[in-house]
This record gives sequence, C-alpha cells and structure tokens, in this order.
Amino acid sequence: MSCAATSPRMVQKLCFVTVGATASFYLLLEALLDPAFMEALHRYNYTHLLIQYGKDGQALFDEFTANRPFGHPDLHGIAVDGFDFKQTGLDYEMRLAKAKPSENRSSGLVISHAGSGSILAALRFGVPLVVVPNPTLQDNHQEELADVLQQEGYAVWGSYKELSSALERAEALRTRMLTWPPVHGANRKQRLEGVISEEMGYLD
Amino acid sequence: MAPMESPIAGILAWIFFCAVFGFITAALYLLTRAASQNTPVPKWRSQHSRVHLLIVLGSGGHTAEMLSMLRRIKLDPAKYTNRTYVVSSGDNFSATKAAEFESTLIDRGAEPQSYNIVTVPRARRVHQSYLTAPFSTIRSFYSCLLVLRGVHPDQQSWPADLFPVPYPDIILTNGPAIAVCIILAARLLRLYHSCLGFLFPQRLYSHPRSVAGAAADGTTPHSGGFRLRTIFVESWARVTTLSLSGKILLPFADRFLVQWPALEDKKALWGSKKAEYVGFLVD
Repeated sequence: MSCAATSPRMVQKLCFVTVGATASFYLLLEALLDPAFMEALHRYNYTHLLIQYGKDGQALFDEFTANRPFGHPDLHGIAVDGFDFKQTGLDYEMRLAKAKPSENRSSGLVISHAGSGSILAALRFGVPLVVVPNPTLQDNHQEELADVLQQEGYAVWGSYKELSSALERAEALRTRMLTWPPVHGANRKQRLEGVISEEMGYLD
Repeated sequence: MAPMESPIAGILAWIFFCAVFGFITAALYLLTRAASQNTPVPKWRSQHSRVHLLIVLGSGGHTAEMLSMLRRIKLDPAKYTNRTYVVSSGDNFSATKAAEFESTLIDRGAEPQSYNIVTVPRARRVHQSYLTAPFSTIRSFYSCLLVLRGVHPDQQSWPADLFPVPYPDIILTNGPAIAVCIILAARLLRLYHSCLGFLFPQRLYSHPRSVAGAAADGTTPHSGGFRLRTIFVESWARVTTLSLSGKILLPFADRFLVQWPALEDKKALWGSKKAEYVGFLVD
C-alpha cells in the first residue's frame, strides 16, 4: 500500500472496495474514481482507499492514478491504491478495514459488490459494510439480498450512483453493528449436521 | 465429441439432446412419483461406519458459502472419513479452497489421502455456442456419473474392504450449475438399482435389508438405494426466489433446505415437494 505519504501520527481509516472477480462492475469503479467520492471520504476522516478493481478495471484505474499522484487536489488527501484480483481471497484486505489501535488504525469500511462470498467475509470480520448490487446483471436477486441485509441491520444497501450517502449511513451503522453469525435458538447451529445425520439412516 | 457449428447439425444435436434428456427426465419423474421422497431413511447404518461425503463446489460465491457451512458445522473427519470435492474445469479458486480446507482437517485427525478433488467439464462454458451446448452437457453428465461410481481418472480408489460400494453416502451441494448434473446422475443410479432390485429380487440388489439384517459393520445394504442421498442447500444469496438450479432440483433432491423465511414451503413445479426453511447455515 502506498502509505508513505501519510504522517505516522495520523490515524489510518481505510475504505476497501471489492468489485468482484466474476462479473465486471465498471459503473462502481467509475463512481469510486470520482473526485466527489474522494471528497466524501475525506469528510468522514478516511485516509486510504484500496480498490480491487477486476481485470477490466486496470486501464481505468491506471489512467486515474497516473494523472493524479498523491497530493493531487482531486484526491482530497486520500491515498489511493488498487489491484486487479487475488486468487487466494480478500481476507487480508478486509482485516485492514478493522480497527487496530496497536497499528494506529481506526474502524474503516468495506464496500462490496453483492456477491455472497465477499459479503459473508466482511460480516465475519465485523467490518461495517456497504453492499452495492450490480445493475448490469440480469437477475435482480442481488438487490433483494442488499435490501434484506439493510432491513435487518447487517449492512447498508448502497447504489453506485450515491456512494457519498452510503458513507454517511455506514457511519450510523458503525455504532449499532450486529454480531455475525446471528445467534438464534440453541439447536440452530446443528441444523445441517442434523439433516445429514437423518439422511444417513443411523441405527440408534 | 467434436463441436459442430453448422445450423442443421446443431438442430439435430438439439433434437437428440431433448430426446435423451426428455427420456431421462421422464424416467426420473416416474421414480420421484413412485417413491415418496419425504419418508425418512430406514435406520440401517451403524454409528461408527465409514462415511463418504461428496461436496459439490461451484464458482466463487457458491464455494465460499459451502466452505462457510462446512466450517460452521465443524465437519468432523472422524465421522465423515472420506470426502470428494467436485469442481468445474478451470475453477482453480474452488480447488485451492478445497485443499486449504482439507489442510485444516489434518489437525483434527483426518487420515492421509482420505479426500479427492475431481474436475468435471462444464456443461456450457461462457460464450460457448448454444448449438454445441447439448454435447458438452452430455459429456459433463457422463463425467458426473463416473465421479459417483468412483471411476473418474482424478479419483484414487479407497480399499474395497472399507468401501464395498463406490457410491458416496451423502451428496451436499448449494446449487452451482454442475449440481444439476450431479443430482440427476445420482437419481439415475438409484433408479438403476431399484430397477435391478425389481428384476432380480434374489440378488444383493434386492430390497434393502431390514434393521435386523443390517450387518454390524454398517456396510449393508449393498444396493445404491440408501447411498447417494442428496441434500441441496439453496444459496444464502437467494432471499425471495429460488435459483434456476434450485427450481430444477427441488423435486429431485432428498432434502431441499432454504435459508430465508420467504422461501419456506416453496413448491416444486410438480409433485408435492416443499422447501424446508432452516435459517442461516453459513457463518
């Protein structure tokens, strides 16, 4: 990460964005690389923006960073970094958004495409999460998931068109985050195990 | 199977495909009607017998959810002694994740070489012509049959004294495309065994033995009848509608579990099978 330019005394607050690896999500990447979004990040005290931009986002991202070195007015003091994707998963990056006082990091944010793998990872880490459904995917079940997660208080349903307002709502979510996985009845944990055992046909 | 790109060959391929799959589907449909799927499995297996669990992995999200579920139940390698992971060709992510998960099982007492990762060809690759898709689907289906029979080239076979029947005991999937092939292939094998049992009742394929007749080692009955049990978990990402795989497989899977209340009791296109709501299975 290019954090050389930030002073070590400053508390780091990272916004990590994953656009997904399977489908392209150019609209989200464009919205992220907008000076207005940088300004909003700055307003909520973020210092770093780290983007997993996907294979086809490389050109756009490279062009953006080449034209705007750290300190460029468009960046509003945000250090921007990115990579295309990682075969091994994004646990390391998600963890960077988690508060860690010993490393001078405050609780940041994960903005994720609405794929269940990334959503579940962010929920497990207990990082505030904004879920952005991809409108170019034909099946709209991503919006249903984002909607229900917002209703139940696990995440913020964000639109790529209104990322700044999603940042604001994420600050509200930060103060009343629910634990994951949800705690239900005592037997719930063994439901799948129970179904498998029934299908096995064990003798008593 | 060479891909054919001329339209006439494509149309013929489709007619052939529809005929073959129409027949298989009709046969499976009759089977599902004949054997009530909601009756519990007879108790025949002793508690400490070896169990072969087959896990179907799919693309990114499906695989992540499946591993999340396996973590949550703390899959016990002493109970599920042998495991097979099915991944689609070209899906290195899932193969890597499966190997990674297995390495965590070693600490919990998994035996060496007690698992296989097998790769099956995709039914339809991205951007592949729909004209040639029937051929690749048949190839994919055939490959799934090989996996279930334990003779796929990627599989090491486990000693016959441990597993007299090559079939997995339980098939667990959460709905990638390949799950359709695997579950239909499992139903076809079970249909085959019930036909054999009907035609040659004196053979080992006969009606499953009663509890009294079950051997203490838990290896009987020898028929496929009470192996190849299928459990379909609808993706956690499905809140109000079933996935396409789910819609196809609801009548065929022995158990069909959903994780959101709005999907409770969703019914199949035919038959009386309903989805069971069990809450979140992922962690």
